[in-house]
Amino acid sequence: MVETGHFALVLAFALSLVQFVLPLVGSRTGDARLMATAGPVAATGFAMTAISFAALTAAYVLSDFSVLNVFENSHSQKPLLYKFSGTWGNHEGSMLLWVLILTFFGALVAAFGRNLPATLRANVLSIQGLIGSAFFLFILATSNPFARLNPAPIEGQDLNPVLQDVGLAIHPPLLYLGYVGFSVCFSFAVAALIEGRIDAAWARWVRPWTLAAWVFLTGGIAMGSFWAYYELGWGGFWFWDPVENASFMPWLAGTALLHSAIVMEKRSALKIWTILLAILTFSLSLLGTFLVRSGVLTSVHAFATDPARGVFILAILTLFIGGALALFAWRAQSLAPGGIFHPISREGALVLNNLFLSTAVATVLVGTLYPLALEAVTGEKISVGAPFFDLTFGPLMVPLLIAVPFGPLLAWKRADLWAASQRLALAAGGALVVILFVALFIDRASVFAALGIGLAVWLILGALTDLALKSGIGSVSTSVALRRFAGLPRSAYGTSLAHLGLGLTTLGIVSVTTLQTEHILTMKPGDTVEVAGYQLRFDGLQPFQGQNFTEDRGLFPLLDSDGDVLTTIMSAKRFYPARQMPTTEAGISTRGLSQMYVSLGDPVDGGGIVVRIWWKPFVTLIWLGAVVMMGGGILSLLDRRLRVGAPARRARKTGEATGAAH
Amino acid sequence: MTRKQKRLSIILGALAFLGTATGLTFYALGQKTSYFYMPADLTTASIAPGQRIRLGGLVEDGSIVRDQGTRVSFGVSDGGGHVEVVYDGILPDLFREGQGVVTEGTFDPSGTFVADSVLAKHDENYMPKEVADSLKAQGVWQED
Amino acid sequence: MVFWIVLGLLTVIASLAVILPLAGRREEAASASVHDIEVYRDQLAEVERDAERGLIGKQEAEQARAEIGRRILKLDGADKNSSEQRRGESAFARGLAMAGVLAVPLLSWGIYNSIGSPELPGQPLAERLAKNPGESSIDELVARAEAHLRANPEDGRGWDVLAPIYARLERPAEAATAYRNAIRLLGPSAARETGLGEALMMSAGGVVPADAVNAFQRALDIDGKDPKARFYLATAMAQEGRIAEAADALRAMLADLPETSPWRGVVEQTIARAEEEASRSSTAQAGPTREDVEAASGMSAEDRSAMIEIMVAQLDERLRENPDDPEGWQRLVRSYMVLGKADEARDALTRGVAALGEDSGAARELVAFAAEQGVKGMEER
Repeated sequence: MVETGHFALVLAFALSLVQFVLPLVGSRTGDARLMATAGPVAATGFAMTAISFAALTAAYVLSDFSVLNVFENSHSQKPLLYKFSGTWGNHEGSMLLWVLILTFFGALVAAFGRNLPATLRANVLSIQGLIGSAFFLFILATSNPFARLNPAPIEGQDLNPVLQDVGLAIHPPLLYLGYVGFSVCFSFAVAALIEGRIDAAWARWVRPWTLAAWVFLTGGIAMGSFWAYYELGWGGFWFWDPVENASFMPWLAGTALLHSAIVMEKRSALKIWTILLAILTFSLSLLGTFLVRSGVLTSVHAFATDPARGVFILAILTLFIGGALALFAWRAQSLAPGGIFHPISREGALVLNNLFLSTAVATVLVGTLYPLALEAVTGEKISVGAPFFDLTFGPLMVPLLIAVPFGPLLAWKRADLWAASQRLALAAGGALVVILFVALFIDRASVFAALGIGLAVWLILGALTDLALKSGIGSVSTSVALRRFAGLPRSAYGTSLAHLGLGLTTLGIVSVTTLQTEHILTMKPGDTVEVAGYQLRFDGLQPFQGQNFTEDRGLFPLLDSDGDVLTTIMSAKRFYPARQMPTTEAGISTRGLSQMYVSLGDPVDGGGIVVRIWWKPFVTLIWLGAVVMMGGGILSLLDRRLRVGAPARRARKTGEATGAAH
Repeated sequence: MTRKQKRLSIILGALAFLGTATGLTFYALGQKTSYFYMPADLTTASIAPGQRIRLGGLVEDGSIVRDQGTRVSFGVSDGGGHVEVVYDGILPDLFREGQGVVTEGTFDPSGTFVADSVLAKHDENYMPKEVADSLKAQGVWQED
Repeated sequence: MVFWIVLGLLTVIASLAVILPLAGRREEAASASVHDIEVYRDQLAEVERDAERGLIGKQEAEQARAEIGRRILKLDGADKNSSEQRRGESAFARGLAMAGVLAVPLLSWGIYNSIGSPELPGQPLAERLAKNPGESSIDELVARAEAHLRANPEDGRGWDVLAPIYARLERPAEAATAYRNAIRLLGPSAARETGLGEALMMSAGGVVPADAVNAFQRALDIDGKDPKARFYLATAMAQEGRIAEAADALRAMLADLPETSPWRGVVEQTIARAEEEASRSSTAQAGPTREDVEAASGMSAEDRSAMIEIMVAQLDERLRENPDDPEGWQRLVRSYMVLGKADEARDALTRGVAALGEDSGAARELVAFAAEQGVKGMEER
């Protein structure tokens, strides 16, 4: 079983090489048979990778410790779910998941790309094959998950309690789906450069892939942030940690790509820029993989610290980024420019979006790589943290967010900014009211908080205004408007929903960072503290014996102003005796959209214990907003427009008649 | 405005934007990053009170003192120097005597380091990277 | 056998994926412009839909229609210029196709042959545990004990028994944890504290770290005459360069030792060396060598030699499986010499040299090392 998986992996590598060479030569020489190999080989390559992955998963589930990887990263006593997720919870397994997703996407392109022009399809699959070969080689040469142990040990090594968590189990697959999804956009970009022309279907194909990758990446980032929030017990949701930045940069670039691809699809403009962006987005995904996998950053995530791997990934990184950019420099000018537009237009707004987002990527990139470069060159160690990003990333986001509601209201080609502003008057008025309300009536709210919350409200109302205007509410009768509302294309909903989600997330972030209250105090049993209008009582510590841990549970009944108990928050200090490892289990109670977050510290003399309590207003909106954004992305993905037209058979039948049509 | 002027103004606008962003980034790199020091470095470097730095080292044995409330003080050393640190808040789970620690904060005028964040190693095998490097350089700590 | 059939089947499937499309009839692909026109037509339809719904203004719709129309016209022109130039199948293409077909089986079997382990069956844990415990290796017995302790982590006696076994299996980190658990549950004793200190020392690679010093000191608090703890504390002093103090401590220890103590010899030797060091007044670190430490601790446990035999046998077994380990061979040779099994040592040397390659640097090093250890017999060859 195990060795079958091993062999299937080797086969998949061989197939990926064939997938790279034959179709590419076929498309260059116009040999249809060579090109025709791309599809079946891609599909079979996926099947082989899937067999390989299934074999590794089986080894994990059955605790086959004759597999080195299983021995190092699993344990017979792990709950089944974590044996399962343990498959990708380590370096080798996660790289196997990476190529599994890559070949899966390749197979999807092969399956749904029958209506693509033959050379484009062959080239795209060829580039996918090249990416696959590089990573298969990487796995086989430096990170083989099927390395064996003989004699097999009887027990695995890892039972790290911190890593046994549902959030952490699904976080990496989501991130990888995002990272690898951008590889398809990359392959399309490189294919266009190889051919020196961009087919009309190009943007229609790239956009759904960008959307899908973006949706997964959004989910992955949100999941990671949520995990850090509830598991690490620090109450923070974003640390500007290099590992987080590594996933955030492709997200920003992917967001830009999402928008520029619209322009390209609708107006055939911004072709060269979109191609470059597609290359850059996947390059940033590769960079993210490199940063996390090479161990150049030492943090919880960097479990691979073998320098051979780092050098190998760096070589892959250089090959793909350098190769693609060189190809871009060589071929870009051969691409015909597209439609022209006035600066104030939908296209102009999307260009502005791209300008801000790519600059934001640049600042995050500098903040992430500068400390590494500085240490490599001078040996000085610095930390670039939240203060840096607050000062650089923050100012970039504010004008961008202010501009967001305008975008969808502007017409293509040439638009009337004044008219758009008038339509947004209601949203602006609403935002102003909220700003005044917050500034006047909420204690401790700074001007900054008021403006920030106003900005979020502006985004939310702007997104709703867009929907209302599109369905004609206010200009036509209600029944007509409702019918039009129901009949709006899904992409229209998608845009509004995504912008709405952005507003919600902004609202969550701003209110938590500016309005949260924090209490650090020593509490003795019976003590009560008032937090955000609630009374929090400490009822003392209760020892508890878990399956493989002991814990001291602090019980905190939460009382409303009348003194009724609403719920009891349980926050614990847990101790795993077998590993001599303490962990903190934060107690969280959700009140509406806000949360009460209680974390236990050390006991002090005299029977008290240090307690840290946060009131986090609207904190759940941070992740709810992300979910709404994902919903918007999914709706756009389902739009009929993106179910690419031009089915090949119909095209051939009507081929002769095309001149006459329209 | 003619077409040419219009285009020129757009390009100038974009350049001004990028210039501002670049300037801001460099300013932030100069002002908003904190350098990492070990206690031994501090004997030679002079850090003005109020300047944010990150301080790493080993928590000295027997130096942890808690008052009745949430304030904790402890000593950080690296074999070549010693710094007294005070911190108000909850220490990380793996904060122990003799273990590596990284704190971030500023010196007060009396020379005590007032930390606003304290990080200990994340798991049994993890020593904060900077601390491990420096300790190795000084020969205090060895990998076997 | 089934395994090889499965492998063959997979290879066939993979090869078919390459062969079938190459052998298939050549379908005339539609030219790229046909595809483009289809997309443009779809775009026109979309403009109509949007205009109908009132999503875009009349003028905007008109402009969009005109623009798409222009693109279609441009495409017609371009299509005529670049009349598709399709060449017939060249010899090159045929050769490449052949290479592609062959690459799949050749590459996969070639690579698998060098990195795979087809002789190793899968070993799911449940099947292995169903075996008779009598056939279990020492690792498996330890695993059973671990499983027991996982279920009953408060079983102090279990930890106490397991801790020294871990130490002998050279798993110092686990030994330290086990000693800590035993101390926590059963209370401290001189033996446990010394064991903990020793384990910590092993983890640190022979250097005595601060927490080990603390453990030895706690052991001395309980039993002021515990020889192991005293000896290691002296070692720690010597490692810190306090050689004179170390020598004093050892002399004090010697005075307390009974005449029959196995420690006397080692302590005397160490003192002698320390004095020599001190007289040379060198700043270099002195102190007892690793061998002394090992010899001393060897004397303190009676059943040690049996344990060592097992360890050596395990090492031997591991090297048979995984022979590319020069340090392992050196350790094996030395271990046999220490156990007084010169024949086995010579045998190990021969096998090691064969495994590392007759002329390799590692083999030469191994021979030199063996000669140092007093293995005879290589010269005759």
